[in-house]
This record gives sequence, C-alpha cells and structure tokens, in this order.
Amino acid sequence: MSGSWQAFLDMGGYAAYVWPAYAVFLAVLLGDSLVPTLRRHRIVQELRARLVRQAVRQDAAHAATGNESGATAAPSRST
Amino acid sequence: MTRWIPLWLHRLSSPPTFYRFAGAVWPWAMGLALVAGAIGLYGALVLAPPDYQQGDAYRIIFIHVPSAWMSMFIYAVMAVASFVAVVWRIKLAEVVAMQSAPIGAAFTFITLVSGSLWGKPMWGTWWTWDARLTSELVLLFLYLGVIGLYHAFEDRRQGARAAGFLAIIGIINVPIVHFSVNWWNTLHQGSTINFFGTSKIAADMLWPLLVLTLATKLYYVASLCRRARADLLALEGNKAWVHELVAPEPAP
Amino acid sequence: MLRRELLLAWRRRGDIAMPVLYAVLVTVLFPFALGPEDTLLQRIAGGIVLVTVLLAMLLTLDAMFTSDIEDGSLEQLVLSPQPLALLLGMKILAHWLTSALPLIVIAPLLAAMLHLPGPVIPVLLLALLLATPLLSLLGAILVALTAGTRRSGMLLALMLLPLCMPAVIFAAGAVAAAQQGLPWLAPISWLAAILVLAIAFAPLACAGALRIALDA
Repeated sequence: MSGSWQAFLDMGGYAAYVWPAYAVFLAVLLGDSLVPTLRRHRIVQELRARLVRQAVRQDAAHAATGNESGATAAPSRST
Repeated sequence: MTRWIPLWLHRLSSPPTFYRFAGAVWPWAMGLALVAGAIGLYGALVLAPPDYQQGDAYRIIFIHVPSAWMSMFIYAVMAVASFVAVVWRIKLAEVVAMQSAPIGAAFTFITLVSGSLWGKPMWGTWWTWDARLTSELVLLFLYLGVIGLYHAFEDRRQGARAAGFLAIIGIINVPIVHFSVNWWNTLHQGSTINFFGTSKIAADMLWPLLVLTLATKLYYVASLCRRARADLLALEGNKAWVHELVAPEPAP
Repeated sequence: MLRRELLLAWRRRGDIAMPVLYAVLVTVLFPFALGPEDTLLQRIAGGIVLVTVLLAMLLTLDAMFTSDIEDGSLEQLVLSPQPLALLLGMKILAHWLTSALPLIVIAPLLAAMLHLPGPVIPVLLLALLLATPLLSLLGAILVALTAGTRRSGMLLALMLLPLCMPAVIFAAGAVAAAQQGLPWLAPISWLAAILVLAIAFAPLACAGALRIALDA
C-alpha cells in the first residue's frame, strides 16, 4: 500500500513537474473563485452603510420638519 | 417559436432578472464542475496508464489542454459580448465581457505555467518561441490590456465599451500573430515542436481529458455568474431592487 | 487640416528632436552593454534599430491627442461635418511625418554605428518605411481608446505590444533575410499587405474608438 502510494507521489520521476502544474491549476482557480465572494461582501457592506446613512439623514430631516411646526421644541434640540 | 426566443433574451438581459437567474444557475454549475473535476482528476492521475514515451509527465496534458481551450473559448465569448456591448450598448453584455476577462487571464496563465512545466522535462527547456506558445503569451497580454483599460476609466460603463473595442481588435490580431510567428519560426529553426505527435490518444487517456474540459467549462459558467452578480450589485447600487436585496430587514 | 497639424508640430520643433535623441542614446548604449565585437553587433544591428525606433515612436504616441484634448479641439473634430475617419487619417499622417520620418532619416546612421553591412541598409529603410506607418495607425486607435482616461503610458505599451508584434517580426525578418543573402521580398510584401489593410480600416476604427472614449 505505502509502496503504491510512494509510486503515485513519485509520478515516475516527474513529480517535480506534474505536481506543481496541478497545484498551480487548483490554486489559481481557488483564488479566482474567492474574488467574487470577497467583492460581493465588500459591495453589500458599502451599500448597507449607505442605506443606513440615508435613513439617518431622512429621519433627521423628518424630525427637523416635525419640530419646526412646534416652535418651542426647536431650541431644545439645539442645546 | 421564433418570437419568444428574442423576447426571453430581452427579459433575461434586464439586470434583476439576470441576477436571479445567475443566482439559480451558479450553485448547479459549480457543483457539477466539482464533481466532474474530481472524477476527471482521479481518471487523470490514477486510472490513466503512463504514456509509453513520456512516462507520467504527460499527465500535465489533462490540465494544460482544457485550460488552453478555455483561454481561447473565453476570449471568443468576451469578444462576442463586447461586440454586442459596443454596438447595442446592452449593460449585461458589458458585464459579461468584462467579468470574463479575469477568468480568461487565469486560464491563460495556467496554460503557460503548465506548458512550461511540461516542456522542461520533455524538450529540456521552459520556453520556446513556437507559434502556439507565443500566441498564448500574446493572448495573456491582450487579456491584461483589456483588464487594464477597463480599470483606467472613471466611468465603468464607458471603460467596458472601450475595453470591449480593444477585445474586438485583439481577435483580429491573434490569427495574424499566429501566422507571423509560424513564418518567423520556420525561418529561424527548421522544425517546430509537435505537441501531440501523430499517435492517437488511447480511450483511457481521452475520457479524463474530456471530463476535465467539461469541468472547466462548468467552472467558467459558475465563476462568470458569481462575478456578474457582484458586478451588477455594484453597477446598480442606486436601484430599488438592489436596496431591497441588501437590506432584508427594514431598520426599525 | 494636415497643414494645421504640421504647423503646430513645427512650432514645437524640440519635441520632434526628442525621439531622435532617444533613439541615438539607446543605440549607443548597446555596444557598451554587449561589447564592441563587430560580428556580434552586425548580427543584431537590424533588430536593435527596429526595436529602438519602435520604442521611440511609443514615446511620441502618448502625446498624439493630448494638446487637442486640453484645448477642446478634439471635440470640435468629432462634431465637425467632415467624416471623422478622414480627419483622423490626416492627423495620423501628420504624426507619422513628424515622429517617424526623422527616425527613418537617422536610421542609416544608427545602423552604420552598429556595423550593419551597407547593402542591407536599403532593405532596413524599406522595412521601416512600411512598419512605422503601421505603428502610427495601430497606436492611434489605442491612443484614441485611452483619450478619456488618466494618463498611463505603461498601459499603452501593454496594449500596443501584442498588436505590433507581426510588424516587428516581418520587418526584422526582411532585414535578417537580406543579411543572409536570402530573398527578402516575401516578408516585405506581407508587411505591405498588412499596411494596406491598416490604412483602409485603422482610421475608421480610430474614429469609433474616439467616439467611445469621449462621449459617455
């Protein structure tokens, strides 16, 4: 068993060429498949942050217009 | 019958529809690619007998040749999508063309490296200025040029069209390069290296090659779908469908 | 149009001299790097002159549309009633006359410095006469594509390299064949064929590229 395993790893003496070729193949494709995952994660984070910012701004604007109707509430916000 | 195919394509080319379509397709493509890849690699490394001339070194063919096919296939896809993008300005075609480029460059790189690793024990050299090798190198430069031009523009859609234009020029160029290098090489050295010889490939060696080719094709589909999905999110960041998508629970 | 371009170029005579100076400097460096043996220099002289001329032209390509973009005359060009491809063809011709022709004039001197045999020099000049317009035409397409981007000379080189490779191969092939006393007409005629195709289609492609790069 160990003998055949050895022979498999040895690749008939061409191990130094065969295995790096397969390693490059797998490594490059693995790297390629990680890129969209990372990019998607980054984009979603950015969009979420932007949406939250927009929501906060809208809330603030809404609160401001709501408070302007009641004249007494406006000074309390500025303090 | 002839009416609904264009209609279907038209519907599919709308970003939200394609986003959902690609989301449904890629897990299947990736799963099948992994299964086919595992079977193919097992066949390539274990079941296929050693070559009577090249010993076990020939096993590099099982990744080299599918990668080389993919590098050309993806370039063709990119050029066709670029043509559609430049002529009809369809956003999805731009996305497909530009997101294909990095995958194609990756396969071209694999082709060059594995070919180099194969060439060293077989011909005694890492590199030779053979027409095929040189064309492949030029292909890599073309991919890099397309990617570089795409990223040089501030406006991404404009960049996609400009880079697509370059891709179209490139596809005219590749046959000329191949021909000229062939001519040049016969001037300098009498014989060029014959990759596959005239001997027929045995069935034991052929089926892993075909299965791995299928695996790389499926992988491309999956990777393209995932890249296009991410790209569409970035491009359509101001549209309502993306907002609904990224914010599943509304803020209280 | 052609007159205007040439006039503009004449007002900046210094810019015309730059690529020539560059070519001379690069050619002078080679004997220092490789050693002054006549036989070695002779063998590689044709290739060195070709590559040097190519690189010198690459320097000038980058600036092809710069001043026109800065003063807005490029947009006028795109909007003008005359066919854009024709106007751009004139512009490319002007570029060739101002940047490539001086290099071709100086090329025999460079070749002589590297001991290229006298009978080969006419072939070298013929090859340059056919290869440099090709470079101008191909380069113009790529420069037009990058017209809307930040300046990036390296990107231009990366894009031009694959496209100009056939031109270099055939031009160098003709020189090498002439040097070995072989018939050199075949590569020259291939070069001429490619050039004719490029003259027919490159201005059109250049116009298309410019339209893409300028209007978003």
